[in-house]
Amino acid sequence: MSANTLWTACLDRLQGKVSEQQLNTWLRPLHAEESEGTLRLLAPNQFVFEHVRDHLLNAIEGTVNELQPAEGGCQVRLGIGGAEWPQEAVASRRERPAAAEPRRATPRPQGPVSNLNPAFTFDTFVEGKSNQLARAASLQVAENPGVAYNPLFIYGGVGLGKTHLMHAIGHSILARHPEGRIIYLHSERFVADMIKALQHNAIDEFKQHYRSADALLIDDIQFFAGKERSQEEFFHTFNALLEGQQQIILTSDRYPKEVEGLEERLKSRFGWGLTIAIEPPELETRVAILQRKAEQAGIELPSEVAFFMGKRIRSNIRELEGSLRRVIANAHFTGKPITLDFAKDALRDLLAVQNKLITLENIQKTVADYYRVKVADLLSTRRSRSIARPRQIAMALAKELTQHSLPEIGQAFGGRDHTTVLHACRKIAELREADASLDEDYSNLLRTLSS
Amino acid sequence: MSAAHQRQLPLDLRLRDTSRFAGFYPGGNRLARDAVAALAVGSARTEPQILLHGPAGVGKTHLLQAACHQGHERGEPVAYLPLAELAAAPPLAVLDGLERARLVALDDLDAVIGKGDWDEALFGLLNRLRDAGCRVLLAAVAAPDGLASPLPDLTSRLAWGPVFRMQAPEEDDLKRILAQRAALRGLELPESVADYLLRHYRRDLVALLQLLDRLDLAALAEQRRLTIPFVRDQLARP
Repeated sequence: MSANTLWTACLDRLQGKVSEQQLNTWLRPLHAEESEGTLRLLAPNQFVFEHVRDHLLNAIEGTVNELQPAEGGCQVRLGIGGAEWPQEAVASRRERPAAAEPRRATPRPQGPVSNLNPAFTFDTFVEGKSNQLARAASLQVAENPGVAYNPLFIYGGVGLGKTHLMHAIGHSILARHPEGRIIYLHSERFVADMIKALQHNAIDEFKQHYRSADALLIDDIQFFAGKERSQEEFFHTFNALLEGQQQIILTSDRYPKEVEGLEERLKSRFGWGLTIAIEPPELETRVAILQRKAEQAGIELPSEVAFFMGKRIRSNIRELEGSLRRVIANAHFTGKPITLDFAKDALRDLLAVQNKLITLENIQKTVADYYRVKVADLLSTRRSRSIARPRQIAMALAKELTQHSLPEIGQAFGGRDHTTVLHACRKIAELREADASLDEDYSNLLRTLSS
Repeated sequence: MSAAHQRQLPLDLRLRDTSRFAGFYPGGNRLARDAVAALAVGSARTEPQILLHGPAGVGKTHLLQAACHQGHERGEPVAYLPLAELAAAPPLAVLDGLERARLVALDDLDAVIGKGDWDEALFGLLNRLRDAGCRVLLAAVAAPDGLASPLPDLTSRLAWGPVFRMQAPEEDDLKRILAQRAALRGLELPESVADYLLRHYRRDLVALLQLLDRLDLAALAEQRRLTIPFVRDQLARP
């Protein structure tokens, strides 16, 4: 990339003319290639291409010609495409010719390189009651691909390890048959590829590509719902693979028959092999997963912390891992050891508490409900204790929970002066020290508002 | 020299200042800044995805822009998407092919989540970015659960990496940032005036910086210094 001296110089010069956001949104995504007399700029997609062409191309050309005022100047050509990047999980991205008008690539022939995630193997899969059946079935398929169970349909909620098992089967097949062609993709990729193939009269290559797989792994099949043309195409691919005893593995967030918007004939075929559920992991498995992940990251995770996290984050494994990453990041950047308090502190940002947007109206309503008074009373000029105290509490909460200024808060409470708000805040702070029941009320309200 | 000409230089400085790590005032967000800075250079021990959340004016956009700038300096294609501005565009077209970049920053997720086809398109993008080994920065007003996407698949992917809640600047931080930004414009902002602004205007950094822009312009036009009477007078104007 560093060879792009002209483009780099051009961007440097444009920094003074367009905003940083424009640079980051429209210009820095462009991939540049220079050859004599031509600067080819490749946009990642049509949308960026059009914006640059319509709004920025003149500025780019002007700048380039300022930099290279040689005879004939330098021609700027805009296209769509991108670079090869080394991490070839992206075996899919062949460079596209830049043209004055964007062209789309046809589905690319894929070499023996697979795009399986190297981390997703059977060895790294943590087994528990919730997933042991799915794991056992996956092992069988891995040993006898195309024969044991075809298709293998794994279903379960988000983030429970369906993709992990699918990739593990792929790795295992490759280990036995290194020349095998394993294609893994999300269903929406299949849809997008098919649309592109249709646009470019390349549907035969498309068919050939998918039908030549020794194993075809499609994730989240529920996103085929309502896409009839893709279902039709997939139906034929499916049949061809099955006939050729090529393995098909599918995942979905629900039982095949329950996927709405999916053709009946597909649903019934999905059931021809083995359909197996993967359940949310129970606490022990969640804890085991955390400990295994921590070990892999080379981190000491005390078991009380693992249990705390396992108890708090029940939804799925992806979020469990995300929260572990947050704890690890905190440890890494602060250099502190991971203790229970440390983990609680790190996870506060993830757990939804305090994440809602809190408005002044919301505070007034919540406080009014709590004390069984009317919002109108809080805003009125009435000064009886039963109204004034809740009003002061509401003001103090507003100061604590919002970014409004004192005059703004005063304004929102029936046009009071900012000194009144200031007085309320001080008064409540004092009372919370002296009066346990008021302190409890305040804490309750704080909790209600921020959860 | 015309007034407009005089303004050119400080304005330019300000723009860059808000898009570099060096110009980021960490306050309570040191950890988030360090994590994002590590992601920006793709250091081995960092996560490929980070989500920042918090209300406007806490520095989310600043960190995203700074990371993009840093990635660009390393010679990588980067893409910053202000989703609030792009919300009306067709999601699939906007998000197509972004896995060609090495670092993608999606700002204002809350502006599009739950709207039309955005959730599914974002879900697809996050999968592609992950498959392509692309680094991802996300920013929103709330944590993944709080964004209430109708698509649980998306919610769980938003929480793939560490999630940081950005802390709003304390009053002292705000005053320091204001003074620093004023100085960049060649303006002197006395502490008493900063106090006055915080008490009488919003304690919201974005709003305060916009106000500072306005005051800068007015001070220049009227050849005045920033004093409390001058500021009070300006605030009273529509």
